[in-house]
Amino acid sequence: MGACWGTVRRRINLSDTEDMMKPSLLLAAVVVTFTAPQLCAAPPDFTGVWGVYRGGRGADPKVAPPAAGALMLKPEYAKPYEARRALEAEAGKRGEQLATKSAQCVPYGVPTMMSVAIYPVEFIQTPQQVTIISEAFSEVRRVYMGVPQAKIDDVAPGYYGRSVGRWDGDTLVVDTVGIKTTVPGYRGMPHSDRMRVTERISMPAAGYLHDQITIDDPVVLEKPVTYTLAYKRMPDYEMVEFVCDNNREYIDENGVVRMQVHDK
Amino acid sequence: MAGVLAAASPLLAHHSFTMFDMSKRITLVGSVTSFEWTNPHSYIEIDVPDDQAGTTLGGIKHWSIEMGSPSILMQSGWKFSSLRKGDKTTLIINPLKNGKAGGFLMVATLPDGRMLGNGPAQNQP
Repeated sequence: MGACWGTVRRRINLSDTEDMMKPSLLLAAVVVTFTAPQLCAAPPDFTGVWGVYRGGRGADPKVAPPAAGALMLKPEYAKPYEARRALEAEAGKRGEQLATKSAQCVPYGVPTMMSVAIYPVEFIQTPQQVTIISEAFSEVRRVYMGVPQAKIDDVAPGYYGRSVGRWDGDTLVVDTVGIKTTVPGYRGMPHSDRMRVTERISMPAAGYLHDQITIDDPVVLEKPVTYTLAYKRMPDYEMVEFVCDNNREYIDENGVVRMQVHDK
Repeated sequence: MAGVLAAASPLLAHHSFTMFDMSKRITLVGSVTSFEWTNPHSYIEIDVPDDQAGTTLGGIKHWSIEMGSPSILMQSGWKFSSLRKGDKTTLIINPLKNGKAGGFLMVATLPDGRMLGNGPAQNQP
């Protein structure tokens, strides 16, 4: 249904151009506008800024984020993963934090950028593309609508990979591949270049958004892991820029995060 | 539910608070040498007369105080112009554990008397 709406809007968008002055195109746009609504329900509009919503006591269970599924790594990956977590915990007891990429202002990438601390995300939705901007580190991802996904091996590995989307009723389904293996995964999990992220983004109630994220990685995971992020609309919020040009945290010779103090 | 989500996403954007002694509070009364409205953190650089908070350096001890990012600070009423060079201010901070003259802001008293915290909730830079 949604794809139909997307097609309609694409044609109507011609009216925004000077081509609209051409009588033949004007007629085409009008015809589509009047014939389509009976056939195609418009998908929801996610455009706007969304703040992290944690639910909490007394929250409507319909809009609160449901519990996450278990993260089950294959044994050969679970062992070093748990060892690293143990080292981090030991360092914490000593009052130290071990180096992280974020402490060096390296962005999070997909899917972690979808929820960083309490920073909002902004959706800009058009029929052809949904653009998602995370305020933390000003990360941007683009979801191309109604186009086929590329083969994983044809996507240059990066922080955001390649995302394509389609409407499944009122749910935006986003498929992402091509996240490079150096980008930490969900809860810092390792992942292979075979990782595929599937998101089902929907509004469980007016003013709320859910992003159900499923990570499938046949190399690293025993089975796909699913978790859901919840957001609440921030109607008047203007996104704040985040350019990491004054990072005073550095990594010392022992791999520990330190803060640089100034003498003057 | 909060615990579940906490496991799913970074609680802090940039780094943890481990380097600060969150159980200790120090009050600094001094003169702002710069207010840096920057990412990933904002900073108050402040000269504090030597009768406060430890060792001296020519009668003045200089401190670097870390805050949340501008986005976080705006949620508790801060603006880029809330402090200016030369402003007299009082800061309550959690000091660095390593003894260096730095810390994490808990609350600042501005020249106009307003008291501003470090974001909508403590520990959210």
